[in-house]
Amino acid sequence: MGGGFRGGAPRQGGRGAGDRGGAGGAGRGNNKDAGKRYFFRRRKVCKFCVDKIDYIDYKDTKLLGGFVPERGKILPRRMFGTCAEHQRKLTLAIKRARLIALLPFAAE
Amino acid sequence: MSDRVYEILFIVDPNLGEPEVDALAAQIQGYVEKEGGRIQKVEKWGKKRLAYPVRKHREGSYVLIVAEGTGEIIKEIERRIRVTDGVVRYLSVRVDEDLRKAETSKRKRASEDEKKRARMATRPPRPSAVEEVQE
Repeated sequence: MGGGFRGGAPRQGGRGAGDRGGAGGAGRGNNKDAGKRYFFRRRKVCKFCVDKIDYIDYKDTKLLGGFVPERGKILPRRMFGTCAEHQRKLTLAIKRARLIALLPFAAE
Repeated sequence: MSDRVYEILFIVDPNLGEPEVDALAAQIQGYVEKEGGRIQKVEKWGKKRLAYPVRKHREGSYVLIVAEGTGEIIKEIERRIRVTDGVVRYLSVRVDEDLRKAETSKRKRASEDEKKRARMATRPPRPSAVEEVQE
């Protein structure tokens, strides 16, 4: 019994922040208007950390393309859950790729 | 002072044929060598669609040259590329530092993993086993 409860506790703190700590826990990433429907939140992990990519190559269009929507915008960290360090590197790589016409600056 | 490593990526006019692209690549390699740089690698990517039109071209042949040398030579090489006909766009990026950093963090991670594994091996089983007993 006791074991089962303890097992559930950390999960509630991490994921179910929506119903209790709405102001504190979840206030960082999403908007204030509670009327908006929000997707079921899943913990996002930095892809580059998971895959152990240390150097984000601007030439690797396949990799970068996954982080850029068709419009060609660089999305904020909260969209992909990239960590600060890798977001910085990713941004630089995307900008370089744009210069050499591997990625678009703006939509066609 | 050790030399730096640069990647010079340029787009060649798509209207030029394969031999002309080769000739242009050789010409730019010549610039590098004349300035005292060393060529590490030359890669031809072939014709690719550009993400946006550059000088009215919708596609272009990409050529990548990885060269070693001082910053001064890159300045001169860039100037020469700029006045070379047939090169639609170029980009030179210094890569040695970033690659070195990536290498160190990779090594660091490897050694940390090693340590962690060693610690795990010496440590007695986790208290989770004890908890189970309580249940």
